[in-house]
Amino acid sequence: MSDESYISIQSLSKHFGDVRAVDDVSFDIRRGEFFALLGPSGCGKTTLLRMLAGFENPTKGEMYIDGQPISGIPPHERPVNMVFQSYAIFPHLTVRENIAFGLRKDKLSKAEMNKMVDESLEMIALPGYGDRGADEISGGQRQRVALARSLIKKPKVLLLDEPLGALDKKLREQMQLELRDLQREVGITFVFVTHDQEEALTMSDRIAVMSAGKALEIDAPATLYERPKTQFCGDFLGTMNFFAGTVSAIGGGEATIQTSEMGQIVSKGPNMDFKVGDSVLAAIRPENVEVSMSQPEGGKGLQGKIRASAFLGDRAHLYVNVEGREEPVLSAMQNLGGTASRMGGGEQVLWLTWSDESMILLPAT
Amino acid sequence: MKKNKFGALGVYTVLYLAFLYIPVLFLPLFSFNDSIYIAFPLKGLTFKWYEAMLESGPLLNALQNSIELGISVSVISTIFGTLAAKAFTRYRIPGAKPLTAFISIPLVIPLIIMGISLLVVLKSVDVSLSLFTIGLGHVVICVPFSMFVMISRLEGFDKSMEEAAQDLGETPWMTFWRVTFPLVLPGIIASLLLCFTISFDEFMLAFFLGGEEATLPIYMWSQLRFPNKLPPVLALGSAILIASFFVVTFAELVRRRGVQMQSSSGA
Repeated sequence: MSDESYISIQSLSKHFGDVRAVDDVSFDIRRGEFFALLGPSGCGKTTLLRMLAGFENPTKGEMYIDGQPISGIPPHERPVNMVFQSYAIFPHLTVRENIAFGLRKDKLSKAEMNKMVDESLEMIALPGYGDRGADEISGGQRQRVALARSLIKKPKVLLLDEPLGALDKKLREQMQLELRDLQREVGITFVFVTHDQEEALTMSDRIAVMSAGKALEIDAPATLYERPKTQFCGDFLGTMNFFAGTVSAIGGGEATIQTSEMGQIVSKGPNMDFKVGDSVLAAIRPENVEVSMSQPEGGKGLQGKIRASAFLGDRAHLYVNVEGREEPVLSAMQNLGGTASRMGGGEQVLWLTWSDESMILLPAT
Repeated sequence: MKKNKFGALGVYTVLYLAFLYIPVLFLPLFSFNDSIYIAFPLKGLTFKWYEAMLESGPLLNALQNSIELGISVSVISTIFGTLAAKAFTRYRIPGAKPLTAFISIPLVIPLIIMGISLLVVLKSVDVSLSLFTIGLGHVVICVPFSMFVMISRLEGFDKSMEEAAQDLGETPWMTFWRVTFPLVLPGIIASLLLCFTISFDEFMLAFFLGGEEATLPIYMWSQLRFPNKLPPVLALGSAILIASFFVVTFAELVRRRGVQMQSSSGA
């Protein structure tokens, strides 16, 4: 056992009939880490979580927690606890009884149990709520009770299935920070499932991006966002412009890509692991595409016309038509002093520029 | 305008309620009347019909038969209904829709047809008629009621409740007792009460499938021919009225508790 591989998932697969919900996945989760399983619905993230909890049996492979293999151990004997998507607060019990539910086997005295529950209520900032019925608390409070109910068991790992999915946007943002703080405070390893990339970026130490039963990339949020290694990851975490082409020259941290749509593109990105003649995607985040109303000096820049714009308050997305390319190029600009909101559609000609460092290369798929 | 509308509706409501309840109120009224004839004017207050009721062997016997029958039928039907509901809500069963439809057919077949056809079948396999055969008939008509009550209860049941209990360290058996059972209990009680009520006042099947032992509705029917035997039946009717008032109140309280729970289970 080591802190680096506190949870170890090894060649894990789960098949439902012909469907490979989880397909030969291997990775480690560190002790005390806030780890996200991120992916679209049906990517296998929830199945993976439920295998850790013991509600699904793996078809193949093994999982270890703190060095112990866990498959075959029933859910009620595993050193993990789970916060369910619906929170699963027992409706026939009070808040206090819900939180104390898992303590029955510990043979505590009434006083000890009450003390633990009171501390727990304190932790989730709901002191004095113990005697409320389960139907007398709000959605956000239910989520906290579900957390307290699991954490009072002092699990080695806490599993969270879309923990914020049922809350409205404001509350969700607040709970993201609270969950993060709570995790640091208790020091328990959190593994949570989400389809919301923003949530994963905000809360986690590391993210595993999943697609079609595979864990495509596992890394820290900033690394995954700035230097994705796959088209899926770049596309799922935020948005990205992709230009297909072949490598015509590479070396010295610089590559030239010949594209059919837009001529040559130069990349000085992080991933230079390609040969001349390889099919690649040159990719750039919309916020790295700058828009100017006049042609920049030196004749650089790509000329285009605005096809559509989406005003998002603090920023705006511009969809720019570029000659030779079917899809518009997306640019995100800050709405400083209302510049973006005045950017209309129509026949206005503008120029797109970017730095070669922010143009990264991905293998073509 | 608005006031007029309300007035017309008000009159309608009063008439409706009067038609619904005044006949029922005649029952206790005449049960205290010192005359064997059920007619106005009232003669005077008496409790002798209640005494006669308590002393009437056949009447009490019929009451006992009906209660025993009702309890057996409600318990058996609720077991079958719950199992069927559990199967339909939890598992994917091939042909689930036609199956539920077939199980519910007794709800729409006239009881007289059910009675005759069951009688033909029972006679052809040479089963002698008794409370047991009435019970068979009652179970057939009660199971669909029980099934629908339980389906509506189980459909609102969040499966993650059971998973959460196991996740928190309970074995499947303790999960059933600490979570599943308390959550479906209101449905089970509602089903028991409903099936008991159906069996308790069912006449048609009891008439066709009954042997020597009469159920209460059959006994009451047979007494209508004898004017002097009628007042104790009125007394019994009044007693049942009071009892059902309490039962219905209790059932409604349980149901409300159940509704509250479901709305808070977030499902």
